[in-house]
Amino acid sequence: MSEPIYHSVKIDETKCIGCVVCMKACPTKAIRIKQRKARVIGERCIDCGECLRVCPYNAITPLTTQASDINRFKMKIALPSPVIYSQFGPGSMPDEILNALKDLGFDYVYDEALACEMTSIAIQEYLERNPTPRPIISSTCPVVVRLIQRLFPGLVSLIIRMEPPREIAAKNLRKELSREYKISESDIGIFHITPCPAKMVSINRPETMEKSHLNGAISIKEIYNGIMLRLKNREKKFLVQTQSQVSGIGIGWSISGGEIRGIKSDLAVSVSGVYDTIKILNDVESGKIKNIDYLECLICPDGCIGGPLTVENRFLAKSTILSLIRKFGGKSRIDTNYVQQLYEKNFFSFERDIKPKPFPPLDPNKNEAIKKLKKKEKILKTLPGINCGVCGSPDCETFAEDLVRNEQGLTVGRCVFLGESNL
Amino acid sequence: MEQETILQEEFEIAGGDFVNGGVASCRIKNILKEIGVDANILRRVAIASYEAEMNVVMYAKKGIMKLILTPNKVIIRVDDEGPGIPDIELAMQPGYSTATPEMREMGFGAGMGLPNIKKNADVFNINSTVNKGTNLEITINLNNKNE
Repeated sequence: MSEPIYHSVKIDETKCIGCVVCMKACPTKAIRIKQRKARVIGERCIDCGECLRVCPYNAITPLTTQASDINRFKMKIALPSPVIYSQFGPGSMPDEILNALKDLGFDYVYDEALACEMTSIAIQEYLERNPTPRPIISSTCPVVVRLIQRLFPGLVSLIIRMEPPREIAAKNLRKELSREYKISESDIGIFHITPCPAKMVSINRPETMEKSHLNGAISIKEIYNGIMLRLKNREKKFLVQTQSQVSGIGIGWSISGGEIRGIKSDLAVSVSGVYDTIKILNDVESGKIKNIDYLECLICPDGCIGGPLTVENRFLAKSTILSLIRKFGGKSRIDTNYVQQLYEKNFFSFERDIKPKPFPPLDPNKNEAIKKLKKKEKILKTLPGINCGVCGSPDCETFAEDLVRNEQGLTVGRCVFLGESNL
Repeated sequence: MEQETILQEEFEIAGGDFVNGGVASCRIKNILKEIGVDANILRRVAIASYEAEMNVVMYAKKGIMKLILTPNKVIIRVDDEGPGIPDIELAMQPGYSTATPEMREMGFGAGMGLPNIKKNADVFNINSTVNKGTNLEITINLNNKNE
């Protein structure tokens, strides 16, 4: 049998009381309530983290790396998402934040924003070298990649065959640091500082390579207090040990539209939020979206600054990023020739293609599936259409689907309007 | 060779209703997903049926889109009541369009509709009577991945 599907959230059964909030919020209808507990259907979950945001009982925990885990490595590297610059107000400068982060116990901090700028150049190169197909879809958000594999399997070939900046940065860093400090590559621990738990999926179960270049992902929430305290006590002023060469292009990757800001094409579109992403992918699938070169989709509202593991209000975070973009300007200091050389060596490329992983059909046998489809329509007509979720399925249609899929012990009597309540 | 129909669904399309244009092809797509049709075949059906639906929305009074599934084929049949196409050969040429400037403003009328349907179909039949309507039959084989 195939290995169990890895996910980045865990339901704490001692806290979950089986209310319907997460089940209702789930955009892929991956949650059911059984015996008063929320259950995740592994092959339907895309790790978007919507359940994490809405749980009123704090019963859903992200499975990110604990900060103490970094001590397993001789050399500890932090690779913060540029989202980190949005979290401490417009008065905190990138260098100060990076130094405060380093002070938490890292040997070295690398600004992922620089890898974002390299990736912008590489995306441009990719678009010029690959005139078809269109639109090319960004691979940055691991949830979007999973969403396409599951819900839009026919679109996997449109995903850019290039690793996202966090992987590119880690790959480059491990090689460079190992050479510079004469330390074995396996003694270097590289940790992404992340606004979302989904990165854990792409680290633990990478789709496009044998093994991720990252060793883990630490939640911004976890390191937030430590950085905040250090920034507050700034009278001793951090010695500026890390001086980033970052520009507004790299910083901008943390908000929706940031990725396309770095590329030349006018025919680039950015979309954020899970429902709008599903909507635009539906249009791409129907061939409705023509004349678009590049499609940036980020599952969190307003982009990564809207991630479930961020602390700062996302509207303030966005304002901070926009102010930093103005301050740091739109001109990258990255050497385009260097990036082109790396591109030439396939440094950015996937090791292997992304495979479609569609939701299981109603039945593996087509004739049976059609029978079940008809049965489902018949059952649906008898259901009240209130979509209350008390049966344990998110809405009447999904309940009808669960019934024809022969969920064990499930009968139409589960419906409170038709039979006895059994929640 | 005629084959037994294992599923047949019908959808009405209203001419001029751009708001709901695309709903029928989207429902067809979702049905085929639930049945487990291969991803690449699904995409071809999605594109061809969307183009066919939008042709009805743009040019006809009304139309019916039928999804017919046999063990080896997906067939999309579209019958509309409308102006018809005087010169099918011309309409099949990429870039040829009779779309109004307003339609073009909305992003339609690139003259790729029929050629795009043909490109995605294994068999494409089109008949039209001027001032009466147009009938399309798009067949996409299930077993041929056409990669």
